[in-house]
Amino acid sequence: MEVVRADGRTPNQLRPLACSRNLLHRAHGSARWSQGDTIVLAAVYGPKAGIRKGENPEKASIEVIWKPKTGQTGKAEKEYEMILKRTLQSICLLAVHPNTTTSIILQVVGDDGALLPCAINASCAALVDAGVPLKHLAVAICCGLTEGGYVVLDPTKSEEQKMRAFAYLVFPNSSHSVLPKAPSAVDEEPGIITSVTYGLMSESHYINCLGHGHAACAKISEFLRKSLQTQFPGDLSKGT
Amino acid sequence: MDVEKPSNPPLTSCIDRIVLPGDTVLDLSTMANQTIKLGEGLRQDCDTISVMKAGKLRLSKPNKYWVESSHKRYVPCAEDTILGIVVDSKPDNFLVDIKGPTLALLPVLAFEGGTRRNIPKFEVGTLLYVRVVKANNSMNPELSCTDATGKAAEFGPLKDGYMFETSTGLARMLLGSPTCPILEALGKKLSFEIAIGLNGRVWVNASSPATIIVVSNAIMNSEFLSGTQQRIMVEKLMQKLQ
Repeated sequence: MEVVRADGRTPNQLRPLACSRNLLHRAHGSARWSQGDTIVLAAVYGPKAGIRKGENPEKASIEVIWKPKTGQTGKAEKEYEMILKRTLQSICLLAVHPNTTTSIILQVVGDDGALLPCAINASCAALVDAGVPLKHLAVAICCGLTEGGYVVLDPTKSEEQKMRAFAYLVFPNSSHSVLPKAPSAVDEEPGIITSVTYGLMSESHYINCLGHGHAACAKISEFLRKSLQTQFPGDLSKGT
Repeated sequence: MDVEKPSNPPLTSCIDRIVLPGDTVLDLSTMANQTIKLGEGLRQDCDTISVMKAGKLRLSKPNKYWVESSHKRYVPCAEDTILGIVVDSKPDNFLVDIKGPTLALLPVLAFEGGTRRNIPKFEVGTLLYVRVVKANNSMNPELSCTDATGKAAEFGPLKDGYMFETSTGLARMLLGSPTCPILEALGKKLSFEIAIGLNGRVWVNASSPATIIVVSNAIMNSEFLSGTQQRIMVEKLMQKLQ
């Protein structure tokens, strides 16, 4: 039986994605990522010299500040900051600029479900805009499990509240490679960077979510690649 | 024989295409006995070369590869000429901000005819046109106000004028040869002095403030215009000035 969603989407359909970069004048890199009505603005400053106490001086350190749309910062914001910091630390090449700090500030402009994945996508696009060296990009998605046991992608806030459980999943982006693809690569498990789950879900449902999430992340990856292509204009010095 | 999924066809060459971090661009196992020089934005990962920064992959025959991208921050590289601002002075070095990940050091003796007796006195905030001598990831970059042979060659403090910041891509375009259209068009009608740093700082000086403002605004607006658009923009500005 097909699940009918409130806004008419199919279970595997994502909300319209939009990404714009280099919006803020003072920030070294910035990006605004929106998935439907969930909009997050990310600003990156750095790498700057100096490191905070307690951080390893042989590596670059990453500092995340999360600013909610309304209200003061509390425990939920601290949790988001910690998850983002660990995710971004795993995609950045920390040995390239030792003893520096890169600050990422996230401002929630709109919250309509799947906030953390939207923030991760926005901060990844902002890091690319700032020129911070990265191993690969991170693409995030929210997979929810409805009462009937169906997997639904990119839920809105009202859908999230009715769900039995949901998971925020972060995968590396699909990269182009000049290497010939080994025949066994098709059967390999997709790698996962971060997984945050809320609620109770069985392992088979979780594996199901991983599969759906990975396929959706391939689409988001393609979108990210296309959006980054248009922002690099052709070589001007050739003279047109 | 299974049909391969066409989701990620192997690219025979990514040269002159936009590449993203994580893309693998060269397979070294097929290129034995060749020396390859890697510029910015690329790193070696065992047997492959992969991309660290998003941008256009370029190749300069025979063997130099790099990723061309434009950012607001600068990654110091040896033999670059840049504009720095003095932040502090120590007994042996001046600490200079070059818009990079760390502060750079300018030795007090790195001037033409520099001895312990005639150390220049730079106040905090002095703008300097300098050359990068050494740049490693783990050390503060070292600068010098002389060229490789020891002559002053226009390096040193820049007095008067106006300095503004741009992206590194625009600075490279301004320094390209043949002369970029915007500078050529402005130079035909106005007379001004200009110093361009590869770290995205540009200094302009002219006899009247109006000229300085016109030149600075024209350069800042020319980043995403083509050659003909730049010439048209300069013509319109000159008409308004008269």
